[in-house]
Amino acid sequence: MSGLRSPLAPPPLQRTWSGREPGAVVARRAASLPGIVALPVRSIDPDLPEPIWSPDATWGPTDVDVVRAMTLDRLRATDWSRISPGSTVDLLANPHGFFLCGEAYVAVLEETQRFIGEQRQCTVRLRIAESMGHIENPDWMTLFDLPQRFGDARECPQMGRGVKVETRVGPFWLTRDLFTADHFVHTHVAEMREGYLHRMVDRLHKPFGMGYTRLETRSAYHFGWGPRTGQLVARAVFESDFVQQRYAGTIVLDTTPEGVIGVEAGGDLDELNGRITAGVLRHYGTFMRLLAEIEDVVAVFDGPGCHMYSYGGGVAFDCLMYAQVDFLDLDNLALLKGFASRLPETPGLTMEFNPAIKAQVMNYMAGGVPYTMMTRRLPTYLVQGPAAEWLINDPCSPWLGERAHIAPDLERAVVEACERSGTANVAIFDATPGALHVSEPLGRLLLDRAPAVREHVRTVSLPKWLAQRRLQ
Amino acid sequence: MTKIVRMVAEVVSDRCTGCALCVYVCPTAALELRDRVPGDAGRSRRVAVLSPAECYNAQNCLEICPDDAIVMHPLETPFRVGVDASTADKDAVRELCRAAGIGVKQLICMCAETTGEELAAAVLAGADSPEAVSLATGARTGCTELCHQPIVALVAAAGFGDRPPRVPRGFQSYGLAARATDLVSDDGTVDEALLEQYAHYPLASDLRALQGDFGEWRPEDE
Repeated sequence: MSGLRSPLAPPPLQRTWSGREPGAVVARRAASLPGIVALPVRSIDPDLPEPIWSPDATWGPTDVDVVRAMTLDRLRATDWSRISPGSTVDLLANPHGFFLCGEAYVAVLEETQRFIGEQRQCTVRLRIAESMGHIENPDWMTLFDLPQRFGDARECPQMGRGVKVETRVGPFWLTRDLFTADHFVHTHVAEMREGYLHRMVDRLHKPFGMGYTRLETRSAYHFGWGPRTGQLVARAVFESDFVQQRYAGTIVLDTTPEGVIGVEAGGDLDELNGRITAGVLRHYGTFMRLLAEIEDVVAVFDGPGCHMYSYGGGVAFDCLMYAQVDFLDLDNLALLKGFASRLPETPGLTMEFNPAIKAQVMNYMAGGVPYTMMTRRLPTYLVQGPAAEWLINDPCSPWLGERAHIAPDLERAVVEACERSGTANVAIFDATPGALHVSEPLGRLLLDRAPAVREHVRTVSLPKWLAQRRLQ
Repeated sequence: MTKIVRMVAEVVSDRCTGCALCVYVCPTAALELRDRVPGDAGRSRRVAVLSPAECYNAQNCLEICPDDAIVMHPLETPFRVGVDASTADKDAVRELCRAAGIGVKQLICMCAETTGEELAAAVLAGADSPEAVSLATGARTGCTELCHQPIVALVAAAGFGDRPPRVPRGFQSYGLAARATDLVSDDGTVDEALLEQYAHYPLASDLRALQGDFGEWRPEDE
C-alpha cells in the first residue's frame, strides 16, 4: 500500500457515561470536508507487522478469534499458582483499552476471567480504573455490556476512597476499590499515549503511578518528579510490599497504529516490559518522528478523546503536541512545565507545546482534561451547537467561552483557522485507526519526508533509544 | 486567574440515599448531610444538601454518586472566583512558595489557570486546607487532580498540615505524596543505595536539574 487514499469512515460518536449523544448533535465529521485525504500509517512505515485484529477492516481482521486463542495460549504458559483456591482476584482494566482495542480488549478480559477462575478455582471480578474525563467517555459498561458479560464489574474513579502505600521513596495512595481482593491481575495496552511523561521507561509499570492511583499520586507524578524520572513513582509503587503481596501477573495487548499485533502475558513485569518496549519503539518511532517534520498545522478534534488524548491514525494528539522534542531520547532533558523546582526564581526547563500547531478546531471532543495552556495562545474555533456548549461548560476549561471563536459550521471553522494561520495543513484527530486524516498538502509533505525519517530512525534514533533502555 | 463557574449541582432529593459519597469527594466541601424532614420524598434517614454558592462545578459528586441523585444545571449568571496576589506580601508569598517547592509564577491549576503566588496568597490569608484553598481560588475544581500535590504542599509549608480534615471521614485529600526533592539530603547528596536500586533512571542528574543545575544541557537544545 502506498500513497494517499480517500477518507475512511471515522468510528461513530458513542453515547457518553453522562448520557450525552454526540452522534446526534454533530452535523458533520471532519473527514468529509473538501480536500481531506487519508494518510495510511503503513505507507510511511511499510515494515509494520500485520495486525491480528483491527478496529477497521481496512487494516486487518475485525473478529477476535485469533486474539482469544493467543490470550489462552499466553495464559496457559504463565504461572498463576500464587492464587489459591477460594480466593478473590481483581482483574484490573482501563478505559484506554476499551477505546483503543474494543472487542479485542474485552475478549482478553473474558478469556482471562474464565481461565484463571477455572484453573485456580477462584472468583475473578472486573475493576475498571477510571481517570480524568471519565464521565465524558463513551459508556463502556453499557456499550460492551460488561455487567452481563463479567458479572461483578465496577468502575472505580480516582477520587474515590484511597489506601496508603509505603514505598522505597515515600508514601503514595492507590484507589482502594481496585485492590480489595486477595490478588489482582494487571492488564494493559501498549502504545505511545503520554510518551512525553513515561518516555518508554518502565512503560508497563505506568498504571501503578497513574491509572491505579488516587489524586495524590497522580499529582505528585506530574509535580515534583522528572523529566525522566516520573516513572520512578510507578516503579516504587509496583515494588511496594502492598502491591507485591497481591500481584498475580500481567496481560498486555501489543499494538501498532493499525491495531493489535499480539497478546503477551507473564508474571515478570520487567521482562515483559523489555519485550514490549522494544516493539513499541520500532512500530511507533517513525510515525512519531515524522510528526516533527510538520512546520505548521491546524489541529481538528473530532472524536471521543479529550484534547491531548484524542487519537488520529492510531496515535494520541499528545504525540503531535510535543513532537518538537524527541522525548524518546533520554539524553534530552526537556522538562515539563509542571515539574517543580526548589528554586522559585528558576522555573526550570519547560517543554512547551509544539510551535508548529497554529490553531485548533473542536468539532467534537470530550471534556474533563485541562488544555487551557493551548487556548491561551492559539486561535481556537468551536462549531456552533450543543457540543460547543458542553465544552464551554466543562469544569476543566472555564475560560474557553471567553477565548474561542464560534463558527456557524465545521467547514467555516476550518477555513477560518487555516486563513488566520496562513497554512493549508490540517490534521484530524477523529479516532480513525491506521490512517491519519489530513489535508492533501500535509499528506504529500509527510509522504515526501517519510523515507528519510524512516531511515534516520532505523539507523540512528532507534539504536540509541534501545541502547538507552538496555534493550537489543 | 479566576475561575469562571458556569454550572451548579442539584441534589435530586428523592433519589438520594444519604450514602455521603458526594460529601466525601467535593473539593470545596459544598455538600453535607442533614436529617430528612417530614414531607421529604426520599426514604433514607439522611439526605445530601448543597450550598450552591460553594459549588464550583467540579462534578466529582456527579461522578461518584451511585444513585444518579446529582444533576448539573447551567447558571444563568456565571460567577468568578479567585485571589488577587498583588495585594499579598510578596516576600511572604515567595518564601512560602520556596518552602513548598513551587514557582511563584508557575501555573499550578491547569484548569482555573491559578499560579503559585495566587495559591500562596490564599494560604497566607488563612486558607488552611485544600478545600479552603479551592474555595478561595477556584483551583482544584476542574480535573481536581493535577494541582493537588502543590496545594497540599503549600498548606503543609504554612504549618496547617496537622489540621483535622474539613470533612470527617472524607477523602478530599489524604496527604502529601513523596517528591523527588525529598530524596536530596541537606548536604545535597542522594543515598547511594537508592541510586543503585534505580540505576536505570537518571535520578541524580534529574534532581540536579530540578534544583536549577542543567549541566551542559540548555533549553535551546530542544
